[in-house]
This record gives sequence, C-alpha cells and structure tokens, in this order.
Amino acid sequence: MVHAAELLLPDNFAPNPLRSPWRGQLDLTYAHQNGETRPIHVKTQAPLRVQRPHYPEGRLICYSTVVHTAGGMVGGDELVQNIHLQPQSQALITTPAATKVYRSIGPICHQSTTIQLDLESYLEWFPQETIVFNAAKYYQQLRINLEPGAVALLWDITRFGRTARGECFDVGNWRSDVEVWQGRRPLLIDRQWLPGNSQILQSSHGLNGMPVVGTFALVGCDMSEELFLKMQNTLQQSDIPMTHVGLTRGLKGVICRYRGRSSQEARQGFVALWRVIRQFRGGKVPPLPRLWY
Amino acid sequence: MQNSLYLTPESLLRLQQLASPILPVGSYSYSEGLELLVETGAISNADTLKDWLIQELKFGSFPIDGAILCRAYGALGSNNWEQLTYWNHWWSAARETHELRQQSWKMGQSLIRLLRSLEPTMKPWLDHLDQPANWTIVFGAAAAHWTIDLQATLLAYGQSWASNLIGAGVKLVPLGQTAGQQILLELLPTIVTLSDRAMVMQDTELCSCSWGLALASSQHEEQTVRLFQS
Repeated sequence: MVHAAELLLPDNFAPNPLRSPWRGQLDLTYAHQNGETRPIHVKTQAPLRVQRPHYPEGRLICYSTVVHTAGGMVGGDELVQNIHLQPQSQALITTPAATKVYRSIGPICHQSTTIQLDLESYLEWFPQETIVFNAAKYYQQLRINLEPGAVALLWDITRFGRTARGECFDVGNWRSDVEVWQGRRPLLIDRQWLPGNSQILQSSHGLNGMPVVGTFALVGCDMSEELFLKMQNTLQQSDIPMTHVGLTRGLKGVICRYRGRSSQEARQGFVALWRVIRQFRGGKVPPLPRLWY
Repeated sequence: MQNSLYLTPESLLRLQQLASPILPVGSYSYSEGLELLVETGAISNADTLKDWLIQELKFGSFPIDGAILCRAYGALGSNNWEQLTYWNHWWSAARETHELRQQSWKMGQSLIRLLRSLEPTMKPWLDHLDQPANWTIVFGAAAAHWTIDLQATLLAYGQSWASNLIGAGVKLVPLGQTAGQQILLELLPTIVTLSDRAMVMQDTELCSCSWGLALASSQHEEQTVRLFQS
C-alpha cells in the first residue's frame, strides 16, 4: 500500500542537512479536579508544540495532540518530552501525522520521553507511526514511572524505509527503548534494535521482509483471563493475517506485536484492542479520534 | 577477550554438570518458538534451522541473556545480592513473551531446588534471591559460587542452549542426528563471538532485534497441537 505521507514529498525532497539541529522540548502536566482533567502546565520549545486540549468523551479524559512543526527529524536533533499526570488524571496523547526521520550522514537523532503517572492516573500514549528513511540514525527512549494504581496504554508503530518507492532500510541504525517501572520494579523492558542490514530485514528471525513493526502494551493492571481472551478474539476477527501478530501476557499487563506490510493495518488492530480494553474497564467505547481515519 | 580459559579439573567437571542436557531442569521440553516455525514452514531443513540460531546468537535476545549471566556472576562474586535481585527483576520484565518467561522461571526454580540439595553452602544467596528466579541468574550465580571461569561458563551455557534447540529441531523438522551435530559444530565460532561480546556489553547495549522470536513464541502459546511446553 502506498503511504499517504510519502506521496506528499516530492521525489527530489531532502531536508536541508545544513540546518542546525533542533533542541525541542515539551513539559506537560495534567491535574484532575472535580471530574475533569486539565493541562495545568505547558511549556514547549520549537519544533514541539501542543494543540489546544479537547474532550471528545467528556471532561474526564483530556485529549492532547503534540505537533512537530519542522516536518521531520534530521541527524543531531534532540527532542525531550516530560509528561506528568497528577493523581487520578486521565489523558490521551497523540500526534497529528506520521513522524519522519530523514537519513543522516553524521550524528543520530534522539527523542527522549519521560512520563510520570501518579496514583491512579491513566494515560493512553498513541503517537502516529514513525517513518524511518533509509540511512537514518534514530534512537527513541520512552520511560514511564507508575505509581500504585496507575495504568499506561501505549503503542508504537514504525515503518522502515519509504517502501512505496522501493526503498528499504539497508543502511542506518534504529533503536527504541520502552521501559515501564513501578518504584524499583521494572514491569516492562522492551529494547528493540534494528541495524540497517539486508540479512536482518529478510530473515524470518528479523523482519521477514516486512517493512512495518508495531508494539501495543497495556501495563499496570493484572490481566484477567477474560480480557486476554477478548483481546485474542478481537485479533482473530480482524483482517490482520494471524502470522503477522502475536499477543502475550506481560508481568502486569499484556503486549501485542505486529510485523507486517501496513502501518494502517497495525493501527486498526491496535485501535480494536484499545476499544476492547476501554469497554472492559467499564467505559463506553470511545469515538475514533478524527486524526486516525 | 582471552584466548585460553582457566579451569581447574574440578571446575571443568562442575561446569559440565551444570550445562549437561540431563540436568533435571526440563530444558528439553521447550522449543522457544521452533515448533511454531516448523509448523508455518519458516524452518524446514538444516540450513533454515542453523540460520535461525545464528540470527538469534548475533542479533536476538541470546546476547542479552549472556550479558545478564555475566551480571549475575559479577554480583555473586562481589556478594552484591542487591544487584543479583535487580538483574533478576530486569530479565523477568525484558523476556519477550509469557512462554519464555515461564520457561526461565521454571528452569530457575528447578535449579534452585537442585542446588539446595547438592551444595548447602549456596543457601545464603539462594535464600536471598527473590522468587521467581530466572534460569540465567541462578546459572551465572552458581558458576560464580564455584569460581568457574566466566568465559568458559558462557561457552558452556551457549552450547547447552544451542544443543537443546537443535534437539528440538531434529525432532520437529525432522532431521538426522548427524545433521544436528553438524549444525552444532558450525555454530561454534558464533558461540565463541557471543561469549566475547557478552562479557563487555554495557548496560545501554542490552537490546535486541526480537520480532521473529517474540512472534513465534507468542503464536506458539496458541498453537493447538504441541509437543513442547508453553
């Protein structure tokens, strides 16, 4: 499938490699009061920006969209995000478009996100996919600290190479660390690495010739057999080939992995799981954010 | 990196006992996703089995496993039981699937039970170690307790792991016993490289390309007809 974000770029497009690297920053704090979650502290530094919060499900859960205004990341870029959910607050954070990581002839680009989830707070971290151009060097780190009763739901979708134009990720380096800790105990440590290397791309042990990988994780709650089976059924009933997806229990939660051809397919699967979890947690099935259509 | 190992006759024999396929920890009953991969046709002969094992030794989670063994070895050697516990928790959180975690815990549990009977002097740290304990952690700590050379321990650990999976592959594909032994011999340089690397890996380097393993193992959890444990 041709990816829409790729078609927007002219063939000869290349980011200006001479532009000085960005040092973007985002500090975002939410608080809960009287059944409402509000951002009480927002500080950003270009190219990061946050759109006005919106409440498609009512005031309990705040939706925020984090925008990268430079259109993509180049070598040397450094983005730092600090997000804090105070007790009982609930937020869904997404991005308006795919994040592009361009090729780098020199330094890596680095995105570091630290999220503090206070007592009984709840976060859904649903960025749109990252497109890693061939020869990109990218390192993303996501560290979540959970206080008791806090729950994090997150996904990450990555496309390697602009496959619509026949590009694959045979040079470069990609690394993604996701860690969720509760006090001094790690609940999820997922440190993925993909060196640009055609052997790994083709091997069934690596990407099996597939350009898209995705991870969906629910962390912070004990998994009931019932919810796990519901999630399994949801995947079986989806259009995703069963060889492209796997669901397994984590230490305190569940993890779903996708390895396939389409970031849209990955997202549809993850959205279906998200809705099952929401329904199970006693809420209504949430409307689909418009950005994801 | 060293070109020779320092083993006393006694420590060589202890190491061989620890890494022996008849050590009663049930390692033969796990296929680490191979059963699913044979079912789907991803592994269908000696070459594809060997390729899978080489990828796992180079880019998969086995290098992390080896590096964790080194950390357990170092922690026990310096009586730093807090570090032993830290890495035990870390590895439990980093295991790719429920099935792989259960395997590691069950084998770790069996080894603890065995060591309590065989070597009462290990009691203090075995008592201290949080349950469930991972196989790698107990193995590495036991080797340190017996002051067995670290690289020798890694080599034996790696070969024992490979032998088990080749045994599973011989049954599943199926392959002849000679073909299995041929693969084991051909993995030799990769296991040596792995042992060199595991000893120098920094904490920040503990990462892997584990998509194939994670998918095969989580799909194996759901496989309807299984010879191997989940």
